[in-house]
Amino acid sequence: MANTACFIIVGRNDIPIYEAEVGSAPKREDAAQLHQFILHAALDVVQDLAWTTSAMSAKLPSFLVVLLNPLYLPGSRITSSHFDTKVRALARKYL
Amino acid sequence: MVEPVNSSLGKMLLEEVSPVVMVLCTPLVEETFLKNGLSFVETLKPFCNFSNIDVPVRTSGDQLYRLKKFMLRLFNAADIRQPNVEVAKQRLEHVITQAGEKVFHDLKSDPPQITDILSNSESEIAPTWFQYYNKELIRTLSFSDHEAFDHPVACLLVVSSKDEDPLNKFVDLFNTNRLPSLLNDGVMDPKILKHFLLVHDNQDATTERTSKVLSEMRSTFGNNECNLLCTNSSKEGNVEHQANPWASFKSSVPAEKLGCALTGDDIGEIKDLMQEFASRHIIPYMEQKVRDLNQQISATRKGLRNQIKNLWWRKGKDDIPDSTKGSIYTFSSTESQIRILGDYAFMLHDYELALSSYRLISTDYKLDKAWKHYAGVQEMMGLAYFISDQSIKEAEYCMENASSTYMKLGKSGFQNATRCGLWWAEMLKARDQYKEAASVYFRICGEEPLHAAVMLEQASYCFVLTKPAMLHKYGFHLVLSGDHYKICDQVNHAIRTYRSAISVYESTTWSHIKDHVYFHIGQWYAIVGMNDVAVRNMLRVLDCGNQSKSTQEIFLRDFFDIVKKTGMKHEVVGLRLPVINMSSLQVIYEDHRTYASQASALVEESIWQSLEDDIIPSLNSGKSNWLELQSKLLPKKYKESNVCVVGESVKLDLEFRNPLLISTSVTSVSLICELTENSDDLKLVEKETSSLSLGTEHNQVTTSGFSSFTLSEVDFTLGGGEKKLVRLTVTPSEEGVLKIVGVRWELSGSIVGVHYFQSVPTKAKTNKAKRKNKLTPTDPLKFLVIKSLPRLEGSVDHLPDKLYAGDLRYLVLELKNNSESPIKNLKMKISHPRFVNPESHEEELTPGFPDCLKKGPEQNTVQRETSRTSVFEFPKDVSLQGDRSLRWPLWLRAAIPGTISLYFTIYYEMENVSSIMKYRTLRMHYSLQVLPSLETSFEITPSPSRLQEFLVRMDIVNRANSDSFEIHQLSTVGCRWGISLLQPVDTILPSKSILPGQGLSCFFMIKDCRKPGTEEEKTTSILPSQTDIKLITQDDDEKLFDIVNSPLASFHESERSCHGTSDQLSPNTVDFILISRLAKSSNPSAEQDLPKILSHHSCHNRIRSSIPLSWSLDGPKTMYHDFSTSFCEIKLKMVIRNTSDGFLSVSINTIDGLPDAAAPTPSSGNLSGWRYVPAITEEMKLTSDVMRSRLGKPPPSMESSPPFIWSGSSSTKVQIQPLSTTEIPVQISVFSPGVYNLCSYTLTWELSEHENASSSTSSGICQGYPCYLTVLQSE
Repeated sequence: MANTACFIIVGRNDIPIYEAEVGSAPKREDAAQLHQFILHAALDVVQDLAWTTSAMSAKLPSFLVVLLNPLYLPGSRITSSHFDTKVRALARKYL
Repeated sequence: MVEPVNSSLGKMLLEEVSPVVMVLCTPLVEETFLKNGLSFVETLKPFCNFSNIDVPVRTSGDQLYRLKKFMLRLFNAADIRQPNVEVAKQRLEHVITQAGEKVFHDLKSDPPQITDILSNSESEIAPTWFQYYNKELIRTLSFSDHEAFDHPVACLLVVSSKDEDPLNKFVDLFNTNRLPSLLNDGVMDPKILKHFLLVHDNQDATTERTSKVLSEMRSTFGNNECNLLCTNSSKEGNVEHQANPWASFKSSVPAEKLGCALTGDDIGEIKDLMQEFASRHIIPYMEQKVRDLNQQISATRKGLRNQIKNLWWRKGKDDIPDSTKGSIYTFSSTESQIRILGDYAFMLHDYELALSSYRLISTDYKLDKAWKHYAGVQEMMGLAYFISDQSIKEAEYCMENASSTYMKLGKSGFQNATRCGLWWAEMLKARDQYKEAASVYFRICGEEPLHAAVMLEQASYCFVLTKPAMLHKYGFHLVLSGDHYKICDQVNHAIRTYRSAISVYESTTWSHIKDHVYFHIGQWYAIVGMNDVAVRNMLRVLDCGNQSKSTQEIFLRDFFDIVKKTGMKHEVVGLRLPVINMSSLQVIYEDHRTYASQASALVEESIWQSLEDDIIPSLNSGKSNWLELQSKLLPKKYKESNVCVVGESVKLDLEFRNPLLISTSVTSVSLICELTENSDDLKLVEKETSSLSLGTEHNQVTTSGFSSFTLSEVDFTLGGGEKKLVRLTVTPSEEGVLKIVGVRWELSGSIVGVHYFQSVPTKAKTNKAKRKNKLTPTDPLKFLVIKSLPRLEGSVDHLPDKLYAGDLRYLVLELKNNSESPIKNLKMKISHPRFVNPESHEEELTPGFPDCLKKGPEQNTVQRETSRTSVFEFPKDVSLQGDRSLRWPLWLRAAIPGTISLYFTIYYEMENVSSIMKYRTLRMHYSLQVLPSLETSFEITPSPSRLQEFLVRMDIVNRANSDSFEIHQLSTVGCRWGISLLQPVDTILPSKSILPGQGLSCFFMIKDCRKPGTEEEKTTSILPSQTDIKLITQDDDEKLFDIVNSPLASFHESERSCHGTSDQLSPNTVDFILISRLAKSSNPSAEQDLPKILSHHSCHNRIRSSIPLSWSLDGPKTMYHDFSTSFCEIKLKMVIRNTSDGFLSVSINTIDGLPDAAAPTPSSGNLSGWRYVPAITEEMKLTSDVMRSRLGKPPPSMESSPPFIWSGSSSTKVQIQPLSTTEIPVQISVFSPGVYNLCSYTLTWELSEHENASSSTSSGICQGYPCYLTVLQSE
């Protein structure tokens, strides 16, 4: 578990629109579900913060690109492989 | 916010931090009270809680205050000891297990809704046993050695009047040997208030003895310290108490038994006794003690001098080893005394004094590094701050401090930390700080799973109560808690927590979470034997496509195991395995429109409609359709349903997708249908469908017992992630209203999946209805079943799917009507008349194909009547019935390359059938791929020498990929043009076949066979000239193909009309038909499919010429003249033809005396002028350029021409009408024999649109071309 991280973008109504697991540690069978549980539980805090701070939206320019895509249907999954590689590259940079 | 005292923590503190009374009683006393099913302590317990004791108290200060709420805790002396850890643990476990058993029956119900949870108050959300559990948890820490509030304040000595020598018993009871070890060890002060109680059992003791004993007691122990308690006044022991005071304390015995021998008077006496004991003895005693201690401590510890002394003294103790284990403080030590002072003050609700004492002692303990004591004091300070409603910050700080200090102690301090945490959490809850309370609960989870489970669950409820509710965390903590419960085998609790969690995760799209929750709760339900509920939950994880393959296998295996355990078939509505793609739903049915094949059914309705427009009879001025016709015959409610026919199946295509990675076999897939009779029981159907209950057998007719329709059953296996389009059919066998309700399938024989089609908008073929009434769309799954009708089946035999352009085939359209009732008035329309041409009569070809196309011995030149209507009507006498099939010949010619969709629609009418349907159509669709083959182009140029002859250049390119072709025949169409070869056939194409990619040019000559000068196209009277040439040599007996008769002629007509544009009217066009064959050697296999002949039609080929006129100089070629008598005058005729559409004016200018017209060569008397004149071949390109260059530098032969003179007028101007010919006589004079080249003239022409128009559109000058005349001396 040491080096794995899970990154999920959540849309409206708590719908996950993008999921990525980054890290080098060997995958555990239940890792995915643990990650989901933890991140899902963390949404409460995110919701609180979203009301109180404006730092959330501006920091993630590359994600905004996706959401600005006129062809993107709100709530649907992001399946672009280009986006996926971009996220993973960013993850390697910062983790 | 509630007042701290009235908050739940306030109540807890009143219960837990209150004076302890040690009870010492003889066995006979216990015996007396056991008659009531209660011990002595238990009997008194309900009466130790005083809600308003109203006792004036004065502690340290002079201020009196009144104590309101007060409580005593009674303990048997034997219980005054630190509880055994293991026993305590078991007791806690027991509490949980018991609670679990109680919830068992609630588990069956549906999980609570999230809105319900949010609207509930705290007490409704959390189970009630939590309070009890928490209390028990706190009790495990009773009588700890670092606290003083559990120290007995008083001792109650109880002896029965039945005891022998009661006075001695009293003394014996307080024998040091029998006292709890804590008192003997010096942890607790053994010098406590003693109170003596004599129990008199009214059932079997005498009052005399009792009063005697009592008076003895009073004299011995003092009047005040002795009391009498008379009890068991009811002789029968069957008293029933309305509100049993013991019921809430002892649940193991039925409530009605408790206190059965105690009358109301007895209870009153107990009440009074306790009231008096508390107010007259305990409180004053405590008051006194507090005052004493306070005085003592003020003397030793307060004031600057004492503090410095204390500090110095403590410093000296620094080297004493840290001893948290053994108590270094006995009850008599100053530290303990201060602590006792604090606790007593706390219990007497003098929180100021308590706090000051705690503060004082807290620094001491800290200096002594007595961490447990320190933490205990901090804890009490926090509580005191809270209960006295003082600084919140201070209270929290103290609790935090206490908790972390306990935690630092490691395992030994954990229990204390837990208690501290529970109090702290309660404190936060009382202040509505639920989120913080949750984190406190989380802190005290510890390592023991059961404990952790309870704490996590309590934390989860805190998250609900936070404003706004933190539901995500609520769910998460419930799941964590459930997992912990499961570890301890508390399955009921695990289910309970997960059930609540489902309310959060019910509609989540977080797949892993959803799968985890539903799978586990399903498993657990199976463990407790609720298999049906288990199956219901497990169903939710069946579409676990995102899980790994192994996980999916586990899910499915467990699921089917549980299903098997239930031992019955489960019908599951909305089963997601496999997933049904509703957008793929397509209904194919036949009403008056029938389809010959699957492919034809899928063709867009509009194509058919446009095709059928002409042949379908239009009712009521063409505005109405069959639907309106029906409306007159049928009740209105059927108007909106589709129509199908008894015995004809309704097909439904539906896509099934396997969401899993593992392959799944799906069996017995069939539709769910309902068929009701036409009567008014339509309502019944509606009711039946709306109920959608489990286990209802839908595939039955609601009105009659036997099945009135048949269903197809399909089995298939879907590989991982595979999609399959499955065709399901239902065939009604009775009239009525058929409704397709849904689809059902089986998984491994035990799960029946059912999917109901909620009248979704589908792609069903209801275009007609759509067009008619857009406002009320029909239900595509509802059909009106009408009486059986004849249905025509048809096919085109041997239709190749791939063929070359130009390929001509003989096909047979086979039509069959299996029903007994005949059909009539057949009509057919074909989408591409250019491709398909029906024969006019039903006849088998006698000589076979393609020989039948060849010219017979008698030339049948009768022109076919060319009235071509797009609808082909079968003869009136054609009627089909029973086994007889109609074989109608068709001609197919692949007109153009490309992919061609051929649509046939055959209209027919029913005979002898009284039905709302009078006619039906059979629709057939075929797709052809036409490959390019030979491509021809023609160029026609006028012959320079002859007016009516034209030179034709034919270019052929083989565009096929692999096959080579032989050319067989070239024909001109019509009688006007005769065609002839210019070179032997052998030389045209020596290799006989044109290879792929090869191009070929060859030349022919065509001749206009019309009479010159006549403009009418009355060519039929002329003797037919040769219009065909054979281009093969090998077998001479091979006949030519007849292009005048059907089918070639009719195909040519189609081609003509296809190509016909503005050129159509121009008469100067030639049509050619080239007939070719596939070279025999090129493809030995697939004999059947080989094209026999190919015809290539080239229409409207215009004669190419750059000048709008052609002319020729006609006259004798050779003349004899006697020059001795006179010179020779020769009359010639110049014929000029206007080949254009405009008006032409031509002027002829003759040129005499060529500049180099030398004298005639000296004739040797004979043929001096003779020379070889090359025949003007048709290869010569008659362009004016060539002519001009020729004139500019005349050939040497011309130079030697003898002179001649144009003897007519030197300039003639004529007007020529469009496409007409005119003749101009010209005359020359020659003076000597010789060969004369009559080319010395020019034609100047002007072309204009109208006659006598001033402006000309074009003009030009043409030089005369060589024309040789030989004049000889006549003998």
